[in-house]
Amino acid sequence: MKMEEMSLSGLDNSKLEAIAQEIYADLVEDSCLGFCFEVHRAVKCGYFFLDDTDPDSMKDFEIVDQPGLDIFGQVFNQWKSKECVCPNCSRSIAASRFAPHLEKCLGMGRNSSRIANRRIANSNSMNKSESDQEDNDDINDNDWSYGSEKKDWELKVTLPFILLSYTAKKRKSDKLWYLPFQNPNSPRRSKSLKHKNGELSNSDPFKYNSSTGISYETLGPEELRSLLTTLMFLFQQCGVISEHTKKMCTRSLRCPQHTDEQRRAVRIYFLGPSAVLPEVESSLDNDSFDMTDSQALISRLQWDGSSDLSPSDSGSSKTSENQGWGLGTNSSESRKTKKKKSHLSLVGTASGLGSNKKKKPKPPAPPTPSIYDDIN
Amino acid sequence: MVVSKMNKDAQMRAAINQKLIETGERERLKELLRAKLIECGWKDQLKAHCKEEVIKEKGLEHVTVDDLVAEITPKGRALVPDSVKKELLQRIRTFLAQHASL
Repeated sequence: MKMEEMSLSGLDNSKLEAIAQEIYADLVEDSCLGFCFEVHRAVKCGYFFLDDTDPDSMKDFEIVDQPGLDIFGQVFNQWKSKECVCPNCSRSIAASRFAPHLEKCLGMGRNSSRIANRRIANSNSMNKSESDQEDNDDINDNDWSYGSEKKDWELKVTLPFILLSYTAKKRKSDKLWYLPFQNPNSPRRSKSLKHKNGELSNSDPFKYNSSTGISYETLGPEELRSLLTTLMFLFQQCGVISEHTKKMCTRSLRCPQHTDEQRRAVRIYFLGPSAVLPEVESSLDNDSFDMTDSQALISRLQWDGSSDLSPSDSGSSKTSENQGWGLGTNSSESRKTKKKKSHLSLVGTASGLGSNKKKKPKPPAPPTPSIYDDIN
Repeated sequence: MVVSKMNKDAQMRAAINQKLIETGERERLKELLRAKLIECGWKDQLKAHCKEEVIKEKGLEHVTVDDLVAEITPKGRALVPDSVKKELLQRIRTFLAQHASL
């Protein structure tokens, strides 16, 4: 059947029209058949009469078409002028304001608990003459009204655990950080700590204790909070303070906008001359390293004044010096400065820990040798 | 000769139908027709007619497809509004004109 033989141009229009009519008739018949099948199925399955209603209901729900009413027959502004009586305070309140009023009246909404907390905190701060900064909304959102004492307790108890979690479940790209334990003889004893939003608070966040390092009990709640946020920052984030906004850069440790020098400078500024940049590259076998390091950290955080290190710190020779300088870095960083004895002794713990582990494949950023000259 | 002409016609119709299906035009036309019939209320009319037939004549239990088809199809054909019919025919003619030389 070749198409050339069947050219339609040879036909007159009536034939074409007849063909068109036929096609149309076919299509209509298809539709009718389809409809029949649908009806038959509905009858057999029992849902054919499902959308019927009796004439009474039909009258009830007839569409209303009067001016001033909607199609359901309701008046538009009916509830604006109505007044309700509050069951709590027995006042008569406008309907549209009833819900917020009830929330405040019963003291059950989010806002009312916030206000109550603030009032309590204010009255507490007036007694203690502390400044109250509500920059941490998460604590306030709890709907507790235990007062600020609870918050202090929370922070002091959870802070070591939070730090532990940072060390224990390490990402492979993170280095281990210890809390900076300050040397009592160090000239830089009091630091000013910047808040996340750039405000300066001139409290001394690291109230040193010659035997234990940081003592948490003397830290106020604000200082603890700021300490926590700063540490969280500097563990995992770039942290370089931008010139324009005075805020810390929140990008990763490998942020291309800032150099390692800047990051180191920021950490030195906050954490004292013992600060070391957290290492970005990581070895493949960091896990075993991390566990022993976290044990070391746990032992460091003992508050009984002893600075025992975990037994794995066999390589450290000058444990007495480590009392003041608790910053550890990964062993590969110490590789470069092995010539400097002071550096070795400082990171003796870390190198002791790391010496048994596999080294990092890539060389890390060059550390600042001058940091550890203070020990000598 | 008449026979051959008729055969030719039949062949041509078959060819046209084949073309319709191949290009997907048949499906499109069917969907278009269905949509238009629902829009214009043809389906609801037919359903109401169905209800009367079903309730009146056979009773709900004894409805068969054949009965339904026999009753509904002529009514359905008649109920198609003219506008729908015209539009559909127009489209079919356009299609035939496009493929006239093929």
